[in-house]
Amino acid sequence: MPINYYIFLSIALFAIGIVGVLTRRNAIIIFMCIELMLNAVNLLLVAFSKMHHLKAVAIDAASTAGTDGQLFVFFIMVVAAAEVTVGLAIIVMLYRNIHSVDVNFLNRLKH
Amino acid sequence: MIYFLQTNINTTDASSYLPVALQVAFAVGLVIFLTVVTHLLGPKRKTSDKLQNFASGIESHGDARQPMAIKYFLTAILFVLFDVEVIFFYPYAVNFKGLGWDGFWAVLMFVGFFLCGFTYILKKGALKWED
Amino acid sequence: MNALIISALLGVVMMFSSFLLKDRSTVRSMAIAGLLLLLVVNVLEMNGVEFFNINTRDMIVFDRFALLFNTIAFLSTLLYLLLSAKEMAKVGVYFADYLALIFFILCGVILVSSFKSLLILFLGIEIISIPLYILTGSDKRNLKSNEAALKYFLLGTFSTGLMLMGIALIYGAQGSFYSVDISKIAGETPSALLIAGMLLLFFSMSFKVSAAPFHFWTPDVYDGAPTVFTSFMATIVKAAVFVAFIRLFDEAFGLLHLQWQLLVAVITALTLFIGNITAVFQQSVKRMLAYSSIAQAGFMMLSLYAMNADAKEGLMLYVAAYSFATIGIFAVLIKMSDYTFEGFNGFAKHQPLLAATTTIFLLSLAGIPLTAGFLSKFYMLKAALGTGKHLWLVIVAVLMAAVSVYYYFRVIQAMYFKEGEGQPMEVSKPFKWTLVVLAALIILLGIFPNILLSWLYF
Repeated sequence: MPINYYIFLSIALFAIGIVGVLTRRNAIIIFMCIELMLNAVNLLLVAFSKMHHLKAVAIDAASTAGTDGQLFVFFIMVVAAAEVTVGLAIIVMLYRNIHSVDVNFLNRLKH
Repeated sequence: MIYFLQTNINTTDASSYLPVALQVAFAVGLVIFLTVVTHLLGPKRKTSDKLQNFASGIESHGDARQPMAIKYFLTAILFVLFDVEVIFFYPYAVNFKGLGWDGFWAVLMFVGFFLCGFTYILKKGALKWED
Repeated sequence: MNALIISALLGVVMMFSSFLLKDRSTVRSMAIAGLLLLLVVNVLEMNGVEFFNINTRDMIVFDRFALLFNTIAFLSTLLYLLLSAKEMAKVGVYFADYLALIFFILCGVILVSSFKSLLILFLGIEIISIPLYILTGSDKRNLKSNEAALKYFLLGTFSTGLMLMGIALIYGAQGSFYSVDISKIAGETPSALLIAGMLLLFFSMSFKVSAAPFHFWTPDVYDGAPTVFTSFMATIVKAAVFVAFIRLFDEAFGLLHLQWQLLVAVITALTLFIGNITAVFQQSVKRMLAYSSIAQAGFMMLSLYAMNADAKEGLMLYVAAYSFATIGIFAVLIKMSDYTFEGFNGFAKHQPLLAATTTIFLLSLAGIPLTAGFLSKFYMLKAALGTGKHLWLVIVAVLMAAVSVYYYFRVIQAMYFKEGEGQPMEVSKPFKWTLVVLAALIILLGIFPNILLSWLYF
């Protein structure tokens, strides 16, 4: 498959994530949309990694080009997990205080 | 890592997806076939016991949407964190021999830090169920 | 490399001391001793003494620029802990854990100041941000703190997502994460992927340094977070992200400088304008300082815009001047119970020494001659003039610096020329002396900037 398909797919996923973040009001759903964005990036990175590898192998069969892209995905996953941990903890903390996860509540700080 | 990359399918050819298509068709077909056949062959009895939700033989009670103790969430959050960290073992497992002793010490160090975190959680009482 | 490993270990040590040591003052002295150690090993590394030799495949390179910045960051953190560590204990019961988080943040600071690969940039930024989300929400019962934490978290991760997309697109275009490889552009025009990736990275980094129009989270988060941690966030962390910003655009996109220069100029002008004008209308000193940090970020953006030797020197000086002064003001502010301008009324009568040092900090932020703030602003403007283009930007910057004098002097006016009953506050001798040292440092840098800048070259 040409790389374009992968790019379009992950840009589409990424855009869905962004739209979700901007329009939803529930903190958990916003959070899920952010995860969607991160996973779109993961998909794109893996696709690019494969593409660069195939390109490099055509020239030199022993090339290891493209491995760094996949390793980056591992790091993104782990960092995303750490973010989930902290984020959920913050949401739980907020829920304990106001019994809601609606982000409309966040307007209070303005004044 | 390199092994993932070297599997090279002829990607321009749509016919290489034929096995996948066959599998999907088989899976969907089997489900439809079995549901239709059970409806046709099975006897039809409608009693109150029969209409209850099936929960592996245990009597079901109440609604699923009950408030849960926040402890569950906290433990689940910790689980997510420790679960995903294991991902770093995959590259090591794939190239176990090639990395040799250097790789082993590096992984050992990683596990050591991991254990530090775990001890911290234990000592802080994050896994205690009774308050 | 010395400081990176030691600060990570110190973080773990602080983590464990939270349940092994019951006494808070021991924990505090341990943290301060640890920071002194970090400072010493970092200075040793500047003189060529390295304790650890780890092959990072050139993903992290400790050059003079990075090492000098790390020294400034450690020095600021040390002063910050000396002044405000006791106040941390008032936020919540997890005193040692807060210190552990601060050491972990320092790891991230070291990473972002010395990265050569986008992987390290990403990890560094995340290692800085994730503990900060926790510190922002550390006042668990306070709704404002909760709110600030959630807001910071959601917007922070969102901008991380943008940044990652940018990195992925750049990887697609160039096939590598190293800034050296990214800067190699095949052919005449850079590919659309590269440009798109660069823009996404630019936006997300502007977000992290709170440059307008991506600044909207800053006042709320800085205002909502416990004041002790706001002080840390607004100074050391912000400076570190700026250093990363400069490094990234210098090393990876240096050749495309002409393409993005105008964009940076517009964002800089906008940041200066919004930061300064909004700061004028604030009633709370804490919120005023939040907007002033946006305004100061605008000045630091000038170095990104110019991107020449003057700009790098200026950034170092600016970072030092800004961090020292802001840490000082916050240290005084934390001691007060009333954060409004009226709270400062008659402050000079009750606490003459504190008022005098605060005045020096404010003068430095406003950029009055003889203080470090003046020289750093001077370097920035010189660097911007050195590009020979966009003269309007320099004019805007000078005008906005004049506006900033108004709101900084409002505090001085309240302290000296207004009657008021001072607020009761406990001030210890060491606290006063540290403030005096801080003020002396600012004046020293204002007269002899070369004691700092010569480190960049020798």
